[in-house]
Amino acid sequence: MIEIRNAKKSFGKNEILHDVSIQVNKGDVIVILGPSGSGKTTLLRCINFLEKADAGTLTIGEQTVDLKKASSKEILEIRRKTAFVFQNYSLFHNKTALENVMEGLITARNVPYEEARKKAEDTLAWVGLLAKKDAYPSQLSGGQQQRVGIARAVVLDPEVILFDEPTSALDPELVGETLAVIKSVAERGITMIVVTHEMSFAQDVASKVVFMDGGFIVEAGTPAEIFRHPKEERTKQFLARIISAENMYYI
Amino acid sequence: MVDLFDWKRFFTNIPQIVAYLPVTLKIVFYATLFGVILALLVAVIRIKKIPILHQAAGIYVSFMRGTPMLVQLLVVFYGIPILMQQLFNINVNRWDKIIFVYITYILNQGAFLSEIFRCSILAVPTGQLEAAYSVGLTQFQAFRRIILPQAVRVAVPSFGSDFIGLFQNTSLAFLIGVVDIMGRAKTIGTATKHVLEAYVFIAILFIIISLLVKGAFYLLDKKLAYGR
Amino acid sequence: MGFNSIYFYDSLRSGIQYLPNTFQLTFIPIVIALILGTVIAVIRVYRIPFLAPLLVVLITLYQGIPLVVALMIYHLLFIAEFNDFAAALHLDTSMADINLIWIGIFALSLQATCYMEESIKGAFFSVDKGQYEAGYSVGLTKLQTLRRIIIPQVIPVALPMLTNNIVGAIKGSSIVMVIGITEVLAGSVIPSSKTYAFFEGYIAAALIYWIFTILVEKIAARIEKRGDKYRRNLV
Repeated sequence: MIEIRNAKKSFGKNEILHDVSIQVNKGDVIVILGPSGSGKTTLLRCINFLEKADAGTLTIGEQTVDLKKASSKEILEIRRKTAFVFQNYSLFHNKTALENVMEGLITARNVPYEEARKKAEDTLAWVGLLAKKDAYPSQLSGGQQQRVGIARAVVLDPEVILFDEPTSALDPELVGETLAVIKSVAERGITMIVVTHEMSFAQDVASKVVFMDGGFIVEAGTPAEIFRHPKEERTKQFLARIISAENMYYI
Repeated sequence: MVDLFDWKRFFTNIPQIVAYLPVTLKIVFYATLFGVILALLVAVIRIKKIPILHQAAGIYVSFMRGTPMLVQLLVVFYGIPILMQQLFNINVNRWDKIIFVYITYILNQGAFLSEIFRCSILAVPTGQLEAAYSVGLTQFQAFRRIILPQAVRVAVPSFGSDFIGLFQNTSLAFLIGVVDIMGRAKTIGTATKHVLEAYVFIAILFIIISLLVKGAFYLLDKKLAYGR
Repeated sequence: MGFNSIYFYDSLRSGIQYLPNTFQLTFIPIVIALILGTVIAVIRVYRIPFLAPLLVVLITLYQGIPLVVALMIYHLLFIAEFNDFAAALHLDTSMADINLIWIGIFALSLQATCYMEESIKGAFFSVDKGQYEAGYSVGLTKLQTLRRIIIPQVIPVALPMLTNNIVGAIKGSSIVMVIGITEVLAGSVIPSSKTYAFFEGYIAAALIYWIFTILVEKIAARIEKRGDKYRRNLV
């Protein structure tokens, strides 16, 4: 069980997170929607301490840490229970696909080399890229890089995987195959928090949808509740804009 | 051009001069070895902006990069004895002159290389560091396994230029009395009253060295391309 | 502390007296290098046959020679051959009339030309090929394109590298001491020959050079900022 309580974060004078609380159960797939600047990416990055929040607590499993005052040791422990998939893939440029997937295992978790290699190869095969295991990121397409990034996160067997707009930097033709892989991650029962603009994905895969705006959680519920019966005015406005845009795209 | 340049003298000089090439190579070796270590330290201090050390490092780098090499040699040559006497009461009259040369070149390289290293480390995208943290690496692990290898790649061309510059700078050491290839040329000149052949040979020698080093770094650069 | 302030100030004053010589040894080579360097860079960029490859070879080879070695060689050649040389050209001067400083300026100019040419060439190559094509396509000649489109874009890129070259020229000027020219370095230790306060003398020289280079870098930074403003407005 993962819980964030009362997270606050400001950048200079801008308060990006106003007092956000969220609860995630094991196996949940939470999709966070919202306009840009709503704080959804910041919230995600606060969870694995890529940003340091100004206040709030984080509970993962048995461990609770203060989001602001966590010690380096605690941060490291949290990072070893979570995994992150970046919008720009951020694969290690100086390592092959296989080495990228192995890195967290051998260096951060002291898994023996052979065991790590086997696990990494299995995971790469699972995302369909075993043939490219010795390729460097510069030799892979965007979609392939992101799938390696997903493999890198999955192989760590974390308590939760955080996805930061995983398909936003991809060419449209590649978005589909990447979303398919993310869906199969969900089908494996892994707990996920996904920030995305892909509405059909949210409807299809999410167990809970959270709408954020201006640093607050405006509304949360099942996909059916949020998409078909939104209660808040802001939610309705946001959905109206996004869904009509999507419809236009399909024309 | 009679008696100014004599081929016979040119060729007799060659073995005599080349015999002192190891002295030049030793200067380059020690300057690079300790210079790199010093430079890494200074670069990290400046990137992490450690208080007090950061400012001191800034002054050190500015001084070494803003003053001529020759002046630095002379300052070290005259200054270290005074420093040693005043602070530690050690008499350095027995020291071989080459020690002062080593100290100067190490300090000099430390400053120039620290700038190169600092820029290369900062050139690695922050996303790489974040990705490293996200899979659970510590700061040290992330630096050693992800940032440093990529920074090295960026640094290679500048390091190569600096390395050639170091070789060329060694040509000044003889001015404080060290006998390297230049020093040998000078002694040949005093002994035989003919020194042009010696300097011409040294010029050719330096050209060959610079071409070899350029070639080596070109190959190194290609090897580090990581699949590009 | 073994450091005598009085001797230091004496050296400082003595050194500053010789700044004009150092300026001559720095700025004349820089101006020559800028002109020659640009010409050579343009030749390389336009790949003018025969000249371009020849210059590439010459520059690559010349860059390998340390300044002090070149200086010594020029000095020796000058002493040995000048009188014959002048007689051949029917010039009325003799060796004694020529100030040695010109040998220094000659050597420093060649050195600076090589390094500046590399910087300018690099800056040229950073300008998109499309810019040349765009110029021709609206009817500009090669020279007009160069002058009105290319060079204005080359300058902001070249500036940081050129600042480096200028600092290098300042530092290089100190080496002429070995052929007997008196500039800041030699000038600073003139008092020292009497007092044996060499350390104070050389520290004084270091200080003068250091301040000189810091000033150059600050001025360059100001110019770079101005240049940047200009570019951003264009976009």
